[in-house]
Amino acid sequence: MANEPAAPDPIPHTAPLPGGDPAAPAPPGSALAEVFRAQLNRGFRVPESAALLVVLGALLAFFAVKSNVFLTQANLINVLIAVATIGILACPATMLLVAGQFDLSVGSGIALTSCSFAYLLTHGYSQWVAVLAAIGLGMAGGILNGFLVTVIGINALITTLGTLAIFSGLAELITNGVPIGFNGFGMLALTRPAFDVPWSVFIFGAFIVGSVFILRMTVFGRSLYAIGANRVAARLAGIRVGRTIFAGFVLSGFAVGIAGLVAASQTGEGSGTTGTGYELTVVTAVILGGASLAGGRGSIFGTVIGLLILGIIDNGLTLLNVESFWQDVVRGSLLISAVGFDAVRRRLTEA
Amino acid sequence: MSAVQLTARGVRKSFGGVEVLHGVDLDVAGGSILALLGENGAGKSTLVKILAGEYSPDEAQIAIGDATYTEMNPRSARAAGIRMIFQEFQDASTLSVAENVSLGRLPTRAGFVVSKQQMRKRAATVLDEMNVELDLDAPVSSLRIGERQLVEIARALSDEAKVLILDEPTAALSHQEVEALFRYLRGLRDRGVAIIYITHRLDEVGALADRVEVLRDGDVAVVGETASFDRAALVSAMIGRAAAAVGRPEPRDWELGAKPAIEFERAGLEGAFDDVSLAVRPGEIVAVYGQLGSGSAELADCAFGLRKLTDGALRIRGRGAPRGPADAIRLGVGFVPADRKSEAIFAVRPVCENVSVPSWRRLSIARFLIRRISEIRAYVRWQGELHIRSRNDPLQPIITLSGGNQQKVVLARWLECGTPVLVLVEPTRGVDVGARAELYRSMRGLARRGMAILMATSDYEEVVQVADRAVVLARGKLITELVGDDITTSGLLAAAGG
Repeated sequence: MANEPAAPDPIPHTAPLPGGDPAAPAPPGSALAEVFRAQLNRGFRVPESAALLVVLGALLAFFAVKSNVFLTQANLINVLIAVATIGILACPATMLLVAGQFDLSVGSGIALTSCSFAYLLTHGYSQWVAVLAAIGLGMAGGILNGFLVTVIGINALITTLGTLAIFSGLAELITNGVPIGFNGFGMLALTRPAFDVPWSVFIFGAFIVGSVFILRMTVFGRSLYAIGANRVAARLAGIRVGRTIFAGFVLSGFAVGIAGLVAASQTGEGSGTTGTGYELTVVTAVILGGASLAGGRGSIFGTVIGLLILGIIDNGLTLLNVESFWQDVVRGSLLISAVGFDAVRRRLTEA
Repeated sequence: MSAVQLTARGVRKSFGGVEVLHGVDLDVAGGSILALLGENGAGKSTLVKILAGEYSPDEAQIAIGDATYTEMNPRSARAAGIRMIFQEFQDASTLSVAENVSLGRLPTRAGFVVSKQQMRKRAATVLDEMNVELDLDAPVSSLRIGERQLVEIARALSDEAKVLILDEPTAALSHQEVEALFRYLRGLRDRGVAIIYITHRLDEVGALADRVEVLRDGDVAVVGETASFDRAALVSAMIGRAAAAVGRPEPRDWELGAKPAIEFERAGLEGAFDDVSLAVRPGEIVAVYGQLGSGSAELADCAFGLRKLTDGALRIRGRGAPRGPADAIRLGVGFVPADRKSEAIFAVRPVCENVSVPSWRRLSIARFLIRRISEIRAYVRWQGELHIRSRNDPLQPIITLSGGNQQKVVLARWLECGTPVLVLVEPTRGVDVGARAELYRSMRGLARRGMAILMATSDYEEVVQVADRAVVLARGKLITELVGDDITTSGLLAAAGG
């Protein structure tokens, strides 16, 4: 009852009644000017991602010193190629985590889409039919996830853990357990339209631009942040919570379709093991990039930095001939430290 | 059971540098019932939570029987025989009635195998003594709120309490259930148990208590034999001098709209309220006053589409009842929920977004492209009008504002949205006095502009300070309706307690 005592307010209340009608035009510019002056006075604020950039810089420096091929253009492009597929998945994953949701099914999702693509291509269908089918299948998976989470009401983690297994099984059924090789469709991986960078990286870039636009500029993106920050309050403010989350899963499914095509193009086959473990890397990158497990926080910029950190560690350790199993150890440790950092930050800011 | 004497002397407690108990004494003897009264924030719950070991006091001398303490903890309180029934449920809702009665001290065979038989027997005995019939194997989640409360009470009772503390236990109980509980409490008293009974209901004091203690602003206002106080004396002791300053707003000098904006017609919601008729017209503030369990908050929920009436009709601006929050907003209703932190604010998001949320489409280009500048403009405008005190930074997270200023932001949200109807639940809970006055002034200003305002609250001073009309609910029934200067603290308290 008396648990929330409040200090008396020392400022006199000279509040005039709010007059005029609610739809009156905005106040004179002086108030706005004041706001911007305050912004300037506050000075340069160190963005949260600054720490990440420092880590990224330190990694670049470390590997540049240790390996003389690391800083070559060809190798840096290799890093980008290596993160492109996961990056495409990480963009909608950021949107979902911002809303407090997960999609763990993306890993086996790309196995399913790339296998069905390979199957159709080797069974007499045209390339375009196969491409559209892969994208459609990815989106169908997203619709399934979204339906289970928003309509049936199953926890997203459990739902997508289930569909992760389902998609993986379906992919193996399509291929009968043997990868389906195909000819052609190397374009995404091999054609390098500019800067000696292949299409796959440009597609990743398009996903970045599109996702930044959606998250920062649209009502949909804003709603994702609001839902993540306080789901009940979002509902009470009139946001259609279910629909918004549903759309997030469908976007994730779309990305699974595209990423499956990129993976198929890179390997020249559809294999049931494509994308195994990608879900972990995606979640690691997104959380490393500053998205909060509690929702309401996160950015594509952060996610991209997180991806680059992971990609550079993988690449650098390979160049230094460190056994590849260590990469898993490092990735897992990074995930835990990022989540731990998030927990500490939340305790500090919301106590 | 030997009678026990509980004595507390000079109990002091501060929260965040503000002292809420200024050296309070309390005595209760075995074989008697002490009613503890006081308005919201007087310190009743803080005091009994200190006795039960939930809070540690800054200073206190507590004696129970021969033992003396300077502070209790849950373990020592339990060992001393103190049992407390909290306002909020602490039951395990998926477990059965029998299991809940024995929760925390399940009877065992051979030290670790739970004995279902003994558990059922224990539950049956105590429920029988309370004269309550419940299915022992039913999960608690399947019970009505009042029945759950009884299970809570049974748990405390079956535990051989020497001192039993009940914090407003009857809020959710039906008349018969209250009767049964009282009978049982009297039986316990006669067996030598000391009972501290917190309540808002004055009629319960006369019916139950031997002695009464009234707290006001963290001090003991009066204490003595129940028989030596009449109702008016208790009310004035609770309100004290401070209440004299509770003023009515300026008389309304504007016309009301012709057609009601919110209209409840013989409305009922199972388990909450029944047969309530009430209309709110544009330009007026109607308060629904009632304590927890009276049905006032549920009535407000219905007006925003959060619950569906089970009886009667609800019309919003001549149309039907809202089907959900989004539909309610479309019909022109804004909603300020009771629990600001968990239901209203987006803690980590900038203040300007917290204002613009329901108006995003209108503030956007082509209804989907966010324009940060319009959001900031909207915030700056309401910051000025509602005197929202913050750094002049529309991008600072709302959580960095004080409670009162957060509440102004939530109010600004609906002003920016431009809804002609506003429903508020406990609009100034956890808001400091200064910001409270400003919020009331803003609400009056909104009514002047033609807004229809429905406010559900358990704070009677709030009702006096802003409402044009007030209806009093108790146990889901509309007790009375007060208009204009007939709205007084004593009138409200008397109606709600009766």
